[in-house]
Amino acid sequence: MAWLQLFRLEFRAILSDFSVAFTIFGGIVAYSFLYPLPYSNQVPREQHTVIVNEDGSQLSRKLERMLDATPEVKVVKRVHTIAEARTMLLSGEAGGILVIPSDFYRDLLLGKSPVLGYAGNASYFLIYSTVVEGMAKAAGTLGAEVKVLNHILSGDALPRAEKQYSPLQLNVKPVFNSTMGYVNYVVPAVFVLILHQTLLMAVGELSSHQNHSKKRSEGYWLQIPIWRLLIVRVLTFGGIYALGALYYFGFAFEFYDITRLASPLELWGLIIPFILSVIALGVVLGQLIRRPEILSLLVLLSSLILAFSAGFIWPLSSVPPLLVWLTNLVPSTPAIQSFLMLNQMGADFSQILPQYSLLWLQTIGYGGLAYWLLNRRDIEDA
Amino acid sequence: MLAINMEGFKSKWHAEWQLIRGDFWLKALLFWLPPLLFLTFWYIFSASVASDVKVGVVDLDKSAMSRQLVRYYDANSVIAISDEYDDVASGTLALRGGEIYALIVVPVGLEKKTIKGFPPQVTAFTNGQVLLVAKLVNSALMQAHGTFSAGVDLFKNMANSSPEIKQAFAKAVPIRGQITPLFNSNSNYGHFLVTAAIPAIWQIVIVVTAVLALNASIKAGQLHTWLNGTPILTLTAKLLPYTLLHLAMGVAFLIFMYDLLGWPMHGSWLILLLGQLLMIIACQGVGAMLFLIFKNASHAMSLASGYTAPAFAFMGVTFPSSDMPLMAQIWRNMLPVSHYVELQIMQANYAATLMQSLPQLGWLGALFTPLCAAFVLVILTDKANQHQSVEC
Repeated sequence: MAWLQLFRLEFRAILSDFSVAFTIFGGIVAYSFLYPLPYSNQVPREQHTVIVNEDGSQLSRKLERMLDATPEVKVVKRVHTIAEARTMLLSGEAGGILVIPSDFYRDLLLGKSPVLGYAGNASYFLIYSTVVEGMAKAAGTLGAEVKVLNHILSGDALPRAEKQYSPLQLNVKPVFNSTMGYVNYVVPAVFVLILHQTLLMAVGELSSHQNHSKKRSEGYWLQIPIWRLLIVRVLTFGGIYALGALYYFGFAFEFYDITRLASPLELWGLIIPFILSVIALGVVLGQLIRRPEILSLLVLLSSLILAFSAGFIWPLSSVPPLLVWLTNLVPSTPAIQSFLMLNQMGADFSQILPQYSLLWLQTIGYGGLAYWLLNRRDIEDA
Repeated sequence: MLAINMEGFKSKWHAEWQLIRGDFWLKALLFWLPPLLFLTFWYIFSASVASDVKVGVVDLDKSAMSRQLVRYYDANSVIAISDEYDDVASGTLALRGGEIYALIVVPVGLEKKTIKGFPPQVTAFTNGQVLLVAKLVNSALMQAHGTFSAGVDLFKNMANSSPEIKQAFAKAVPIRGQITPLFNSNSNYGHFLVTAAIPAIWQIVIVVTAVLALNASIKAGQLHTWLNGTPILTLTAKLLPYTLLHLAMGVAFLIFMYDLLGWPMHGSWLILLLGQLLMIIACQGVGAMLFLIFKNASHAMSLASGYTAPAFAFMGVTFPSSDMPLMAQIWRNMLPVSHYVELQIMQANYAATLMQSLPQLGWLGALFTPLCAAFVLVILTDKANQHQSVEC
């Protein structure tokens, strides 16, 4: 059979299988919009907060206003008791509580350093950290003002006093995702995982389907040597996914305003072993699992585990070593890590060599396994 | 009539159990695969709180004070100073390569400037690409730095003007804050994510099982024969055994989380069970509807994957649902698990009353629609079938 005819047959096989075509085209396009959707506001802002002001002084009201002015917090209500505030948290009307103790102003004047109560709903970590950040900011600013005032009262000049509210300062600057936006955080990694999972499903389903199709004796996939089948499969799926990668890392990243630090050459250098290793693993799974729907089920069930153990959500040093080792057998783990480093953090290509070589190792390993399994199939048939 | 129906139901019910016993993947989905996944999740986060996150330092001052400051940072349990670099460039390289999660730069003249009263600025670069870790490192550094600078201030105040320690302290820290994380008091990240991830997996399992189970008894084009003139009875007898098994699994993971692992559960088990039951029925409805539309397992499975896979992002646990745009909120509301997780958090964490839980229960109840659609589909197929038989 001519090469061109083979490619045409392979491409037609992809298009005529609804689940394969839907997984590839529907998956890539629909997920490119659906996944970033919940995070499109990037940063949680204006988290509703309730205030219990037991002091009622001018200064405490100033603190309330300062809190309301922070971008993190919006003061929605003032109540008299902590119990009332708690009820508001339970009903979801508020995510945080600020308690200003009685005699706050007096204690401040007397130099007794009064204690403010910051509470947040830690059932939702992001809400919690946002409200606490806002409260600490407002209280910190007020505290600095008081210190400056004290310095002036004890005879310092204003410019000097202004500098001295803290003996040494700490400036924490997030880099690579300087706005700490959620889209920039989740999307680069998840897009790699989407490409991985849909490609794995599509290749696997097609292979599995063809393998157990009733018309198998007529199939083009049985009439050609295994190496030709593998080349056709790799080039056809690889071609489609190269376009997919172009769409994700090019258009979609541009659309969502996500950092792209890697040079096109470096990026392609990484995309190639990534796609190759996934296709090889897909063929292997297609040979091992007889039912296409079971294959997609297993891929589906693995998604969350692969995402959570890839190191971008939970530090790798805290993931049990056994799981780190196991998930490194799957291309998504080194792929997510190396794409993030190269494209998001601007690492040098030499720094991703461990992950990069692992992807090539997987390509060779799964490629060999695929060849062996296909070969065994032919022997069994004979 | 009813008696005959009871007999029919019984035989179908028995047949279903036989079918489950003979199907490897159905057994896997119903008995061992999900528990294995749940355990894996727990295992990933078994460390519960991040500790010893690697942080690098460039100490350009190299004074007694700068070394002490670095020791203060290191003493915090969340971070561990893993590497020291001679210059900012090599530290930045390590940060880019993911070797460290943050880089602290201590400026030249830190000690001198502090003593002279010109506050120097220490800069810490955190890796915002790993947002959660960056947040944890941020608060750990702030805390450590706050303690250190309060100590310096205290010392200066005592040396200068306020020999009394209390007053000196108040001058150093005029306002203090006490942070209370409500409902998850030790800020256990494992608890937080695992309790949400398990229901997300559970949702996938329920939807997919319904698809596979229907596929197992309805071979291509034979829906009519299978319905056998009793569509409602047949579909009910078909799905009911799975409803019970899913509920058993739901109860099992609740016991695992709230009893074996000892995570706090303050609310009512009864409300939670009611929520689980409604959640199962809603998910089974989605699975049944998808299968009956396509009458093909792999087609239905592709759509079921598309529907359930991104559910975790929409649940509102990691990113607050109130900050999601309208479209995301609409999609979120169509996923049973978003309501179930809310209910679970409300019960376990705040012990909400039945009245307070009504919105979530109501949503789960309203999501019966796919199940109704599935029933309408079988009834229609059955009617069409009868017409055909009459015509024949």
